Amino acid sequence: MIKIKKGLDLPIEGVADCRVSDARDIALYAVKPTDYVGLVPRLLVAEGDKVSAGDALFCDKNDVSLRFVAPVNGEVCAVVRGEKRKLLAVVVKADGSQVQRPAEAPVAVDGDLKQRMLDAGLWSLLRQRPFGTVANPAGKAKAIVVSCFDSAPLAPDYDFALQGRERELCDGLEALASLTEGTVFVTFRPGQRLAKVVEQHVASHQKRVSVQYFEGPHPAGNVGTQIACLCPINKGETVWTMTAQDVAVLGDWLHTGVYHPERMVAVAGPQTKNPHYYRVIAGACVESIVEAQVLNPAYPMLDGGMKAEGVRVVSGNVLSGEQIAPDGYLGAYDSLLTFLPEGDYYDFMGWLLPGFNKHSFSRTFASGFVPRCMGGLYQMLPEFMRPKFDTNLHGGVRPLVFTGNFERVFPFDIYPLQLLKACIIGDIELMEKLGIYEVEPEDFALCEYIDPSKTDIQPIVRQALETLRKEAL
Amino acid sequence: MFDKLRSFIDKIKPDFVAGGKFGWLQSTFEAFETFAFTPNTVTKRGSHVRDGVDMKRAMITVVIALVPALLFGMWNIGFQTSLNSMDWPYELGTAASWWYCLWFGFLRMLPLIVVSYVVGLGIEFMFAQIRHHEVNEGYLVTGLIIPMIVPVTTPLWQLALAVAFAVVIGKEVFGGSGMNFLNPALVARAFLFFSYPTHMSGDSVWIAADLWGTDAIAGATPLGELAAGSWPSDTALDMFIGIVTGSTCETSVIAILLGAIVLLVSGIGSWRIMLSVVLGGGIMGLLFNLIGANSYMQLPFYYHYLMGGFAFGAVFMATDPVTSAQTNAGKWIYGLLIGVFAVLLRVLNPAYPEGMMLSILLMNCFAPLIDHCVVSRNIKRRERRGSAVENTRKEVVR
Repeated sequence: MIKIKKGLDLPIEGVADCRVSDARDIALYAVKPTDYVGLVPRLLVAEGDKVSAGDALFCDKNDVSLRFVAPVNGEVCAVVRGEKRKLLAVVVKADGSQVQRPAEAPVAVDGDLKQRMLDAGLWSLLRQRPFGTVANPAGKAKAIVVSCFDSAPLAPDYDFALQGRERELCDGLEALASLTEGTVFVTFRPGQRLAKVVEQHVASHQKRVSVQYFEGPHPAGNVGTQIACLCPINKGETVWTMTAQDVAVLGDWLHTGVYHPERMVAVAGPQTKNPHYYRVIAGACVESIVEAQVLNPAYPMLDGGMKAEGVRVVSGNVLSGEQIAPDGYLGAYDSLLTFLPEGDYYDFMGWLLPGFNKHSFSRTFASGFVPRCMGGLYQMLPEFMRPKFDTNLHGGVRPLVFTGNFERVFPFDIYPLQLLKACIIGDIELMEKLGIYEVEPEDFALCEYIDPSKTDIQPIVRQALETLRKEAL
Repeated sequence: MFDKLRSFIDKIKPDFVAGGKFGWLQSTFEAFETFAFTPNTVTKRGSHVRDGVDMKRAMITVVIALVPALLFGMWNIGFQTSLNSMDWPYELGTAASWWYCLWFGFLRMLPLIVVSYVVGLGIEFMFAQIRHHEVNEGYLVTGLIIPMIVPVTTPLWQLALAVAFAVVIGKEVFGGSGMNFLNPALVARAFLFFSYPTHMSGDSVWIAADLWGTDAIAGATPLGELAAGSWPSDTALDMFIGIVTGSTCETSVIAILLGAIVLLVSGIGSWRIMLSVVLGGGIMGLLFNLIGANSYMQLPFYYHYLMGGFAFGAVFMATDPVTSAQTNAGKWIYGLLIGVFAVLLRVLNPAYPEGMMLSILLMNCFAPLIDHCVVSRNIKRRERRGSAVENTRKEVVR
């Protein structure tokens, strides 16, 4: 078992209960090229075309074998473009017809698997590090890492989300093992129910699948942290990753030969009426969920007593997720939908008042003296002492002044501040030396959260990685 | 009341944005607006939620940490005068005298603080305005520290000059807070020390003669006495409490320790630096004890913690996050060397009775080098890991 000490768990209210609503009848689905880092799409369909699940909607201009496919049967009802005609989304309207499931048409797990995954559009589920792009089909991975728990704030519980799909998960892992000469690492928290099932399966099949356990605060569940502990990436090496739910989709496809990207999505956050799980198809429109679940009344505000209006819909977690419109679509890899109050209020003397409900990693507010290990017990605090989370920046942007804090939430053998500064000045050689290939923006999310200078760190890291990726082309 | 203030600010705001009637005062307006209200900016890119702490909160925490030392310093200014002045209006030891000490010191400190803030913030606002930046909060701390580390009799014009020098040459020419490599407060102190030595050191600058003016009563500091070759006349306990002569607010180790607790609990100050400065000073002091060539070398090592600006420097100046080493390993080395050099300068160079200031400034210069060495180790480790993999790969190919 690997113990992560550095990190931080945010006590945000509104964790999803273990109940499920079925939302597989949502009509609209979108596949968004913007969900895939660095993708230059070539559109393969036009508005009005009939498509079935698994038909390609667009492909990668630089590698046409990389296809991005429709999640459902239906009709292409919109091709959304932005500035300079940039392709933003291809929207498919489901016709409600069930995908024809052959009784038993198992896909053989052999050397040809890669080609068949590419043909079926499943390859896009596999991502690579460095750069966070879809895995390069021509490349080789030194390992594949699948995290079967998520430590991010309000994250779904995979024990619950993957209930009933254990077999698919195990078969998916086995398939992944045939894609690499290295090891497939599958990671759990100690004591996870899912871990026992997978461990038994691995023991009886003798594949190159290794079960690993991680303990500690967020970002213990991030694949970046796990890769750093299990198989750190050196220059020129690649590690592939896949989310646990996508591994189950892969396993399902192996059994049926049909692409059916079903996914359990936790709907959570302080602005959620009944935080719980939804069973959806990947890329679903969230409009009906937002209508049913968003709490609209102004959220009780901080000490200053001002109120803010509006709710931010985030696909993914609050640290590194993507803001989407209330009638937007789930991100390709996301299994969490967070409703967060907007924080566009003024806070009178916010820098001076005790701040009982302002969460901070530092102990500069009264809230810092409530024991941090409380976990779920935060519910028992009186209202005015419960930490409130919203989208307020809580201050103005300043130069990077404080040091030594990032290291406390950054469990890598990397100097985060120095790497960040190298990214800001765009010194490629220095970035390489300081370990840029081992990180993704999400690994810096907690640094960004605790930063008193309010620098937007994740976009800086992403931009630096994109520069490097283009250099490497 | 908040609502009224808010709506007033919103009403006059259009005049102060670029293109408005007072567009040239935008940064100044913003400074005052954000002083009253934390702005309503929401996160746009990156993490959607953010920590409650910002630069204002962090800096105000340091100011709070300075308060015990400041209050004690004020009282001690009066107390030292009461001990030595002929025309002290109250009988010593009475409550009235005690309160008058505080009042006397407050009146002596006030002009120093006002001059430091007015001159320093004035320059800061000007630079922010010219650069179209927001005003940085760093000077809230620097501006309070400067009057706390000078003799009480410092002429105000000298202080104003030193502050201007520190802010312009020590900070703004490098790009403002966060870009400087020398601690601005110590730059001001060093400027005074080398420009006006007669006003900054010697026996006759530490005790104010009366409520106004720069007249002083002769009275040596413990460091001065040691530099002159004699043993300090104050007891260790007096020095620990702080009822001795010295710069305005750096005499009391107790008050400074209270500040250290605030900095350490809030996580704003680095415990690594504080601890390593103390260790470095102790090691050097013990080494000198071993040599024991003169009375200064025979001084028990812990005396160094109690005398002069050692404690104040260790807690408030060495820990300046901008000018200290930025890596954790670097902080240890940086702190240790500060402690070592401070004691070394004190004992071996009687021309500079107080070594702390020069020692910290010296290590400020070396902090980037220390960091460079620490980071290089990390880089080498990564390269080794990479080449090890590379070699095995080659062997497999063979």
